[in-house]
Amino acid sequence: MNIEKKVLPFILPTILLVIWFLLTDGLHMIPYYILPSPVNVFTAAWTLLANGKLAMHTSSTLIKVFSGIMLASVVAIPLGIILGWYETLDRLSSLIISILRPIPPISWIPFSILWFGIGLSSAVFVIFIGCVFSVLVYTIDGVKRTDNVFIEAAQTLGANNWSILTKIVLPSSLPYIVSGLKVGVSIALMCTVSAEMIASSKGLGYMILTASQLFQPGTVVVGMIIIGIIGIVFDYGFRMAQERIFW
Amino acid sequence: MAIDIKNVSKSFVTKDKDFMALKDVSLHVDDGELICLLGPSGCGKTTLLRMVAGLEEPDEGEIYDRGELVESPSKERGFIFQQYSLFPWLNVLDNVMFGLNLSGENIKEENLAAAERYLERVGLADFKYSYPHELSGGMKQRVAIIRSLLNHTPVLLMDEPFSAVDMLNRHTLQEQLIGVWKRFETTILFVTHDVDEAVYLADKIVVMDKGPGRIKDVVEVPLERPRQRESREFLDFQDEIEKLLGVWEP
Repeated sequence: MNIEKKVLPFILPTILLVIWFLLTDGLHMIPYYILPSPVNVFTAAWTLLANGKLAMHTSSTLIKVFSGIMLASVVAIPLGIILGWYETLDRLSSLIISILRPIPPISWIPFSILWFGIGLSSAVFVIFIGCVFSVLVYTIDGVKRTDNVFIEAAQTLGANNWSILTKIVLPSSLPYIVSGLKVGVSIALMCTVSAEMIASSKGLGYMILTASQLFQPGTVVVGMIIIGIIGIVFDYGFRMAQERIFW
Repeated sequence: MAIDIKNVSKSFVTKDKDFMALKDVSLHVDDGELICLLGPSGCGKTTLLRMVAGLEEPDEGEIYDRGELVESPSKERGFIFQQYSLFPWLNVLDNVMFGLNLSGENIKEENLAAAERYLERVGLADFKYSYPHELSGGMKQRVAIIRSLLNHTPVLLMDEPFSAVDMLNRHTLQEQLIGVWKRFETTILFVTHDVDEAVYLADKIVVMDKGPGRIKDVVEVPLERPRQRESREFLDFQDEIEKLLGVWEP
């Protein structure tokens, strides 16, 4: 039963892989320039691993994602706690947040190039924009959902406002903050690749773009798969964190 | 005199009308007394308790705690809530030490020793590293009481703390509360709608009535401690209180 459950998720990808192989190298129904075969992709991956380019581009993307998320957390978590706690400030800012939030982060790219040039900081800025709002909105929500009985219990134990914010409101909204980060990271990953295609000279997005221009479809697919794997790893990490936090 | 409630009134604004929760209530509580506020739901007993704690403000009148006007919550008046109020992200030990850790005194070792001693006394020594969701309802309330006592609170305000606990456990908790009260000479204001509980615990029973909430009578409990629930006197006195409450009226 348990083994069955563990094997189940792998069945569909395996079937797709076999079909993919049959359509390309197996029966030669689709030519290389329309869809590279699994063998092409494997060869491309091997070359990229051997010359160190895969590690270089992947680490560059990861660094940008991490910096963007860190920056967004540093700004959004304290700000979210303050906005969630003081109703007046929340009302004051809610309209501007609702307007800025749905703007696709990619549309900030022209400004990010103007302000930060081509390179790391420009991409980090776009990623920051991409995930700051979800972390902010989830944090505000978490603070507002803090059970009043915890706040009152802390007050009758002698807690002042600062202790209530740091020792009650923050830990009690932590599950929401983690959910916000989880959503933020998936947006950040999308932004990173898009930003790298336009405003960068390194990273998986840049690798994919140049490979397509140089007509290397194998490399394009390698880039796509790595991005998928990064997404899975982040998701797994957050799920572990949530399991530990959700009491 | 520990608590002095002077001509307190309180109303709440609901959707379409004002609801008068308490009208002109006065009550004196002496140091070390165990007083039960007994009454039907809607008589404002919880509101009164919350105002004594400083969690709610009276519309009229004042409340004094040892001569000082009550304006906000304070660790001088511990509160045990009807709902479970343990912090779910802290284990039992960190929960009970919450108040002590706030004061910032660097006597962690001492606090820890005291916390362990208190937990041991109510049979929770094995649960010090457990989290609240792993405890039963009765255990949670025991931990909540220790959390307040460990904070050296001279006044303990309890809002139907055992109402969600099954009867057998409730009796044990009541017995332990009496033990704690004697040992620490805490002043206790205990809200309940359970006549048996009030008769078992209280020095004095404050019988309340609703519409609007007010004090009907304050009755001294003439029974000696430890009280026997099966005794003739206990049952007779219980009848008397029930009559006063109006439970037996048609």
